[in-house]
Amino acid sequence: MAENPKQPVSRHPALAAVVALGGWLVPGLGHLLLRQWGRAGVYFFAVGALAFTGLALRGNIFSAASRDAFDILGFLADLGAGVFYFAAKFSAYGDPDVSRAAGDYGTRFFATAGVLNLLCALEAVAIARGKKL
Amino acid sequence: MKPNHLQALLVFALVISVAFAFLTKHKPGERLRYALWAFAAFLLVAVVLGWLMYPLSR
Repeated sequence: MAENPKQPVSRHPALAAVVALGGWLVPGLGHLLLRQWGRAGVYFFAVGALAFTGLALRGNIFSAASRDAFDILGFLADLGAGVFYFAAKFSAYGDPDVSRAAGDYGTRFFATAGVLNLLCALEAVAIARGKKL
Repeated sequence: MKPNHLQALLVFALVISVAFAFLTKHKPGERLRYALWAFAAFLLVAVVLGWLMYPLSR
């Protein structure tokens, strides 16, 4: 990857907020704004692959209307996938079927995609603030 | 296309290994070594746990 880890791009406080929002909304966008092309591509495809595999396995996508504590945690994890969550929630692709083990695995795949994206967005924020190379 | 359990395992192991390699390592060589090690560890643990639980499924 053609990255220069010894020179942070910027440490402007406002950049961290933009990077956080962008990194959550579109996986890898935070790193893209910081010109970390390699990481941006890897994180986008990683989160996307997990989300699409989760949908292909017919996993459940939680909604904000849930009242159960575990459903709310599932919703927060799913929401972490940003644009993939909204695409999955408002498209007809992958009708959930958790009566089989595969559907249950799919639910975990999508939640993992969300949590991984949050982790990547946090890393982008740390880079923007100059706390990580 | 709906992946089977083995394909899902391979996708998960590969994706998480590569993503964690990029999150935790900076040099390309270190990333490659970490990704290969984590990928192999994922597969090994999954196969071992699968065989350990196999008697319970019968």
